[in-house]
Amino acid sequence: MSQAQTLERVADGSPGGSRLAAAAGASRIHFEGISVTYGETTVLEGLTLTVNPGEIVALIGPSGSGKTTALRAVAGFVRPSAGRISIGARDVTDIAPHERNIGMVVQNYALFPHMTVAENVAFGLRARHIASRVVAERVPACLDMVGMRAYAQRYPRQLSGGQQQRVAIARAIAVKPQVLLLDEPLSALDTQIRRAMVDEIARLHRDLPELTVLYVTHDQTEALTLADHIGIMRDGRLQAFDRTRPLYQSPPTRFAAEFLGRANLLAVSKFLPIAYGRARVSIAGMSLEARNPHSLPPERRALLCIRPHHLRLAAASPAANRLLAAVESVQWQGEVLNLSLGIGDDRLLMTCPPGGSPPTIGSRIEVFCDPADVSLVPEDADRR
Amino acid sequence: MLVWSRSGRLLVWALVVPLMLVIYGLPMGVIVVASFARQWNGVLPSGFTLAHYAASLEGDSLASLTTSLATGFIASAVALISGTWAALALREVPRQRARLFDVLFFVPSAVPSVSVGLGLLVAFSHPPFLLNGTRWIVLAAHFVLISAFTYGNVRAGLTRVPLACEEVASSLGASPFYRLRRVTLPLLAPYLISAFSLSFALSMGELGATIMVYPPSWVTLPVHIFALSDRGAVFDAATLTTLLGLATVIVLTALSRLASRAAVR
Amino acid sequence: MPTVADIAAFCTLPRRPAQPPRGLWLIAPSLVLAVLFFYPLALILRAAFGEEGAPASLAAFREVLGSVLFLDGLEHTVVIAALSTLGCLVLGFTLSMAIAFVPFAGVKFAGRLIDAIISLPTFLVTLAFTFVYGSAGLLNAGLMREFGFALPPVDFLYSQWGVILAEITVYTPFVMRPLLAAFSTIETAQIEVASSLGARPWRIVGHIILPAALPALLAGGSLCLLLTVNEFGIVLFIGAKDVITLPLLIYGKAIQEFDYTSAAVIAVVNVALSLALYAVYRGVLGRFGGARAGLV
Repeated sequence: MSQAQTLERVADGSPGGSRLAAAAGASRIHFEGISVTYGETTVLEGLTLTVNPGEIVALIGPSGSGKTTALRAVAGFVRPSAGRISIGARDVTDIAPHERNIGMVVQNYALFPHMTVAENVAFGLRARHIASRVVAERVPACLDMVGMRAYAQRYPRQLSGGQQQRVAIARAIAVKPQVLLLDEPLSALDTQIRRAMVDEIARLHRDLPELTVLYVTHDQTEALTLADHIGIMRDGRLQAFDRTRPLYQSPPTRFAAEFLGRANLLAVSKFLPIAYGRARVSIAGMSLEARNPHSLPPERRALLCIRPHHLRLAAASPAANRLLAAVESVQWQGEVLNLSLGIGDDRLLMTCPPGGSPPTIGSRIEVFCDPADVSLVPEDADRR
Repeated sequence: MLVWSRSGRLLVWALVVPLMLVIYGLPMGVIVVASFARQWNGVLPSGFTLAHYAASLEGDSLASLTTSLATGFIASAVALISGTWAALALREVPRQRARLFDVLFFVPSAVPSVSVGLGLLVAFSHPPFLLNGTRWIVLAAHFVLISAFTYGNVRAGLTRVPLACEEVASSLGASPFYRLRRVTLPLLAPYLISAFSLSFALSMGELGATIMVYPPSWVTLPVHIFALSDRGAVFDAATLTTLLGLATVIVLTALSRLASRAAVR
Repeated sequence: MPTVADIAAFCTLPRRPAQPPRGLWLIAPSLVLAVLFFYPLALILRAAFGEEGAPASLAAFREVLGSVLFLDGLEHTVVIAALSTLGCLVLGFTLSMAIAFVPFAGVKFAGRLIDAIISLPTFLVTLAFTFVYGSAGLLNAGLMREFGFALPPVDFLYSQWGVILAEITVYTPFVMRPLLAAFSTIETAQIEVASSLGARPWRIVGHIILPAALPALLAGGSLCLLLTVNEFGIVLFIGAKDVITLPLLIYGKAIQEFDYTSAAVIAVVNVALSLALYAVYRGVLGRFGGARAGLV
């Protein structure tokens, strides 16, 4: 059984996650062994994944990892060379894009430059021959939802990037799509506007809880903020898929640990599983307790994943679970202190609030981490 | 900027401006002056008259002017439809085959106009396609000669139409035809207009193929101008050439206004 | 070992309905072009091998290709095209350099003028030349009056030099368009840095401008060669008895002598020459990328 299928089973085992009651009419997206090849190159390989009704699933990964291809396969712009895609109960693999009943928002907004904002939002409704009376009600309502009603008569070129993306979102939800596909929707925006738009999308999803969303991004913050589930893609394969919190807390691979949030991955010389899903871990001659969420057997080579902000200066901490490290650099960044520590051959990054007197470079200090915050990651799950 | 000193720049332009005037200003100026000239045996015409214009706006000359305008409009319109059709259809074809068709659609621009005329003459002088002796053979010749240019312009324009706009239109439920009508063609409009302009200008000046195939009932302006000039009626020829240039420029200016308005939207 | 997904994919694949053949829409425009262009072209080729009904023979080819008339025509065509193209390249490069790198107030107007000339019929220039350089034209009239020449002293118009001058005038804009486009992509900063490092203008031209402009020069030049080989109006309007090019020869054979077989033979040669030049032009564009000369 392939890894992708294992992952899928995990995802299906927790339907809805935080969103148990999906509204009626909401649809799931299901990928069943989707592969996409262009000539000799395979850009997506055997993707099996379910987005449950009313959920936001984020696909993240570096460029070229196949995440956008997966989204475009749902939209129908990419033809899978193998596998089936369904939306709701309907197999859409052979259905033309315009008959799939989706909403799509792309990175560069792609507003129709020759139409006003209102005409843009009305486009999908008109294309479906919806009665003008209904269009006249729905367009302002959708513009209200994204706070763009005052701009209804403007042309896209008269709007800022953030405003254009709001209109693009309004245009996509105006047609009451079964699923909403967001393809790097915020990548073209400035950091500040991007943050505001993440809030905006979160609010929108609270207002439209029945909306199923597939969200493709390379930005982990967007994914962590918005998504119920996150899929991590690499080289055309789904590397990891889980609910957002477990994926962050117990990354199943080195790549997942490094791509989602910052992580220190320390070489584990040996470890011994103990009770309650935990293990006793030896690192550079020191012993720690950590979680073993993937139930790794002791003969398996493993890494210890410690998030930089989970490390604390040991002075005010329990006596157990401490590491002795040499301070290699200290960097003050206003609200946080960044420390670089040396443990054996590994380097350990640590962030902490700057209070008190910071350790001096060259000194040896003890740092503490809570056993619940650190986890074992299998080493060879990844071909780096 | 290559020449930094002011005097150097002036020197360059003191050489270039007169050169351009002699090469391009002089011929155009001379044609216009000749169209008003009574006689021209010395350096300057011996007098001015509007008689050539009066003669040009009646009889055969007027007929050839309207013939040329009609030919230009019809041939360009048909070429525009066919070129747009071809360029749009070619997007659906796999790359390798698209390249082949691309070359095929461009080839007519490479073949000498006289040979195009000869071919039409040979092909359409007997049933089943008896076009020889009718205006249709002239229109066919003009269509063939400008089709590649129209096609090329539309194809270049199509690459500027953002693919994302078309995809989003599809995702919103627009059928291919609805998408074409409401998104692709409006975005393509400026390029369609400029394609039409170019075709029209080429058709207005076409001589090689027309002179091979034209029937006495469908004499275009360039053919008529050649007949006049061959007969020695050079002032009338100059007048008609001026009118030809004027008509072309007027139509092109009007169309380019239209195109820039279409682009601003 | 095949996974469940593999088996599923294998089983579901044949369910996919047969795609409607893509490119069905291409049939209509292709058919129009086939009937109006390729079919006539094929008939020319057929006609060159003798009368319809008779077995194909090379007799007409042998006869026409050996004739003095044809060889003269071919020579004139090639010489006129080559010299005109050379002239266009030199003039076009000079004018483009001045417009692009020594800017002055009328630059925009010059650009518009270039576009206007491209859209005007080629014989306009020829007609104008008869008024300027013709035997009774203003130049000769002026010279005869001032210096008392008995015969018109300027007497090049009715030779191939007249044709060449006219073609240079008409086709130089076709070189300038891609050149100006290429020049506009050269960063002024590059030239300014070179100047600040003490490079003389001719050095900048040789090391920065010429290499950048080479694709445009090649593209414009090969397009010019194609257009001048095919040029008809200019040669017809000048009407010099001993300057006969291939297109003019085809016109003469077909329209004035009703000798369609000879006309077809010459047309085959002319079309082959043009297609070869077109292949060169496309090759240059393909090799050096997009700097299309604006038209084809």
